[in-house]
Amino acid sequence: MAYIRTLPSRRRLLAGAAAIVTTAAAPVVLRAQSGPLKVGVLLPRSGFEAGIGQDCQRGVELAPAIFKSMGLPELSIMNGDTESNVEAARTRAENLINDGAQLLVGAFDSGQTTAVAQVAEQKGIPLVINIAAAPQITEQGYKFVFRNFPTAAMILGDAFANQKEVFATVGAAPKTVVFMHVNDTFGTAMAKGIGAVMPKFNMPYTIAQEIAYDPAARDLSVEVAKAKASNADALLVVSRLNDAMLLTREMVKQRWTPKAILSMGPGWYEDQYLKTLGKLSDGPLSFVPWYDPNKKLSKVLEAALAKKYPGINLNTNHVFTFEALLVAADAYKRAGSTDPKALADAIRTTNITDNVSIGAGIQFDAKGQNDKVKDGAVQNRGGKLVVLAPQAAADAKPEWPMKPYQDRV
Amino acid sequence: MISRMCNGVPPRTMALLGALLAAFLAAPWVANDYLLTVLIFILYLAYTGQAWNIMMGFAGQFSLGHAIYVGLGAYVAALLFTRFGIGPWIGLLAAIAVAAACGAIIGFLAFRFNVAGVYFAILTIAFAEFARLGFDHLDVVNASAGLFLPVAQYAHNDLWRLRGDPTMFYYVILAATVAAFILCRMLLHSRMGYFWLAIREDEQAARAAGIDTFRYKMYAVMISAAVTSFGGVFYAFFYNNLFPEQVFNISNSVEIILGPVIGGIGTLFGPILGAFVLTGLAESLNSVLAAFGLDLPGAKQVFYGVCLLLVVVALPEGVWPPLARRFGLKRGVQ
Repeated sequence: MAYIRTLPSRRRLLAGAAAIVTTAAAPVVLRAQSGPLKVGVLLPRSGFEAGIGQDCQRGVELAPAIFKSMGLPELSIMNGDTESNVEAARTRAENLINDGAQLLVGAFDSGQTTAVAQVAEQKGIPLVINIAAAPQITEQGYKFVFRNFPTAAMILGDAFANQKEVFATVGAAPKTVVFMHVNDTFGTAMAKGIGAVMPKFNMPYTIAQEIAYDPAARDLSVEVAKAKASNADALLVVSRLNDAMLLTREMVKQRWTPKAILSMGPGWYEDQYLKTLGKLSDGPLSFVPWYDPNKKLSKVLEAALAKKYPGINLNTNHVFTFEALLVAADAYKRAGSTDPKALADAIRTTNITDNVSIGAGIQFDAKGQNDKVKDGAVQNRGGKLVVLAPQAAADAKPEWPMKPYQDRV
Repeated sequence: MISRMCNGVPPRTMALLGALLAAFLAAPWVANDYLLTVLIFILYLAYTGQAWNIMMGFAGQFSLGHAIYVGLGAYVAALLFTRFGIGPWIGLLAAIAVAAACGAIIGFLAFRFNVAGVYFAILTIAFAEFARLGFDHLDVVNASAGLFLPVAQYAHNDLWRLRGDPTMFYYVILAATVAAFILCRMLLHSRMGYFWLAIREDEQAARAAGIDTFRYKMYAVMISAAVTSFGGVFYAFFYNNLFPEQVFNISNSVEIILGPVIGGIGTLFGPILGAFVLTGLAESLNSVLAAFGLDLPGAKQVFYGVCLLLVVVALPEGVWPPLARRFGLKRGVQ
């Protein structure tokens, strides 16, 4: 059989060479592309933490428009539901990375976040933690894990510091407090933490009585009667939403208004508390990770939330989830690349001063922890929340003592 | 021993088992890390479901608190590892001892005082809840703040200390599941297994036939607890963090029993098939939803509910028994 060898034409040769060069350069082009950064957002949007996860999601939904106005690059959000459990959190993290996520954000709960952190570290994909307070997460020597949220110890320390600041502002302080707390995991841990941290702050008050109660209790009349009988000046409380409402109603019924309600947990500042109790919700002070209402970006975020979700007050869940995405967008802008290592390097050198949360801004220490983030002292006023401390973030003076419940029409 | 174990197993069942094992062994070469993680979780559920099956499926003792044995196994091994540097395989021995002792206490209280049926189930829930509350206040395990294991850097796999990548964990849980399957088959076809079946079918008749029902029920509880405890050890070293609220939660106990319930209580393949049906299909559902751009949190839980409903209504024996009958796999391997 005749065999004729045909040489490729010069045009074909050039086309082939161009194709080879294009193919070989593809990864470089992909890494340096200006397309959106794929961010996997892991939140517990079903299961027992669903309410909080869905609230965090609001922070995600507000981000794109604000980032655009700030000149930050576009993010492509990939949602993953952790189902409020560790196993699903890990599986979803693997799934998102498998589907192309170049950076992860999440996961609200410390256990779930730990599971996600391992996957992120193993794959070399940066994880920006929105909310999770267990100190151990940033004590593992991880290179790709960053947390823009205070640790449990920071939260407690700031809470006492802010209390002292509020007392100094009003020129008064309770001499005694009655400490009421739920007896579940969170309440017990907080009670232990308060016992350990409080002595270091030389607080002006002593705990006259400690009363633990079941968070699922339908009636707290006995507990409130005991608290009232203690004659303490103020109520120090660690509660959740339903029992916070129950306690307030019982205090109204028993005509007991302490000089101050000092809450070290959720419940008292939440929208449902404010809406359900109306004027009776005014007065309690909450010491929580919060936002600085004086910062420019806080006002932007507040306005965006009011527009998209009217009637919902800006809170911790929105703020820190939004900020986690802010860290991602800022890092992507500076790195100019979706390469995970370049992104992690960029996050490590983050210095965002135009942010939302209280404190000097967002920077990460060698362990990946933002040690500049601070808690705030927040007071309920007419269905809104004002910040009293720290001074730099305050937008109102404390109302002290609390107006008696019976005088509120 | 192998020939005795295979005795009475139809050739097509043997072929199915061989093919399944080969597929599992080869999985890490073809599956990405996400699929591998899903497979690990399926095998974990298959393993713990198999362990629960010893107690309920074979001996007829309904436990709704198996999370206690997972939790005890997890905490004992994790504590020994974090506080004393004792590796998980040595820790496993302690975990087995503690879980079996706990099972013995529960069993003794129940069987000595004739607590049976739903009351026994309530007793097991009560113990799991005691454990959850107790560990929430136990400072030695860091109470409610959680016990964290130091995380490996995956430079190499350390099987002795169970520090490594998902592939290593996959083979560990695969080996455990195969071992549990073999153990269950041996137990089921032993003298004790027949006694258990007799107790399950009619305890009074079994007693009348001369079976020491108290003793054999105790064996069932203790063996089931001991086997389950390895699931806990695995959980601790794979996920590297333990919170009493999560580990001892009743939802974990329910998750353990879902596999056998869907697959077929009292069968050897049931827990494995059930775990596959539930987790495999639920993950597929997630993927399909994602492919259509649908973001529906909670769809998996709804799927679980629908599966349970379908099985209860259409396949009260579970998925495996009718399948086994249809394909002639019934004899030998149930």
